[in-house]
Amino acid sequence: MIAESTRTKRKNRTRHILMKAAFDRFARDGLAAARTSDIAASAGVSHGAVFVHFPSREDLLEAVVDELGTRVARRIHELSQTGASVKELLEAHVQGLAEFEPLYARLVMEESVLTPRAQSGVVMIQSAISEHLSHAVARESAAGTIRKMPFHLLFNTWIGLLHYYIAHAASFAAPGQSVLERHGPALVKHFWGLIKE
Amino acid sequence: MKSCISCGMPMTRPEQFAMGDVSKDYCVHCARPDGSMQSYEEKLLSMAAFIVKTQGFDEQAAAASAKEMMARLPAWKGRASHET
Repeated sequence: MIAESTRTKRKNRTRHILMKAAFDRFARDGLAAARTSDIAASAGVSHGAVFVHFPSREDLLEAVVDELGTRVARRIHELSQTGASVKELLEAHVQGLAEFEPLYARLVMEESVLTPRAQSGVVMIQSAISEHLSHAVARESAAGTIRKMPFHLLFNTWIGLLHYYIAHAASFAAPGQSVLERHGPALVKHFWGLIKE
Repeated sequence: MKSCISCGMPMTRPEQFAMGDVSKDYCVHCARPDGSMQSYEEKLLSMAAFIVKTQGFDEQAAAASAKEMMARLPAWKGRASHET
C-alpha cells in the first residue's frame, strides 16, 4: 500500500511538472509549433514519459486548455464580487486575463489549430465572464445607466476590442510587455464610454 | 473552491448552490425548481441557449460547443461528446 501510494504521488508530481512545462512551451513556442520533445526536456523527463501521462500531443494540449479555462474562470469568479458593476467586471476581466496573457494570446491567435474539444475551452472562458457580465448589464440597463442593446453585441464588441490588442501585441506593447497591463485601463474606459447612457 | 459538477461554474457563495445548500455539488443554474439536478438533455439545451444569448453563436455551433464543454465535466464525463 505504501509503495502504491508513493508511486501515485510520483506519477501525480510528474504530471504536474509536465503540465507546467507544457503551459510555458505552448505559450512561448505556439500551440502548433511547440514540440513534445521540448516539453519533456523542460520538465526534465524522458520524451516517452509525456505519453505515459497523455496518449497524444492533442490530449496534452486539450489538458492545458482545460486547465487554463478552469484557472481563468476561477480567477474571474474570485475577482467578480456580488453586485459588482459592469465597469468593475470589465476591469476584473482584464486583470484575470492579464495573469494568463501569454497562453491566452496563443488561444486567440491559433484557435483554428485546436480540436473541437479544446476550442470549447475557449467558449468556457467566454461563458465565465459573460455569465457575470450579463447579470450586471441587465441590472444597469434596467436602471438606465447603460444603453439598451442586445447583450451578445455588447459582449462581442468588448471581446473583439480586447482580442485585437492581444493578437497584435507586438504593435501595441514593448517586447515582453503585457499589452493588457499597458492598455487595459484605457480599453475599459473607452468601452465604458461607448455603452454608458 | 467547489465547482458545479454539471456546468463547471465555480461556487463560493450560498446563493450559487442549488437551493442555497452548500452541501450540493451542483449550482443554482443546474437545478430544477424542486432542487434536483437537471438531466443531460435539459442542461445541453440550456447551456446552448446561454451561448446563443450571450455570445451570439449559431444554434448548431452553440450546441456542439455545449456538448464538448459538458464532456469534460464530472457529471457527464462518461458520455462521448458525439452522443446526444
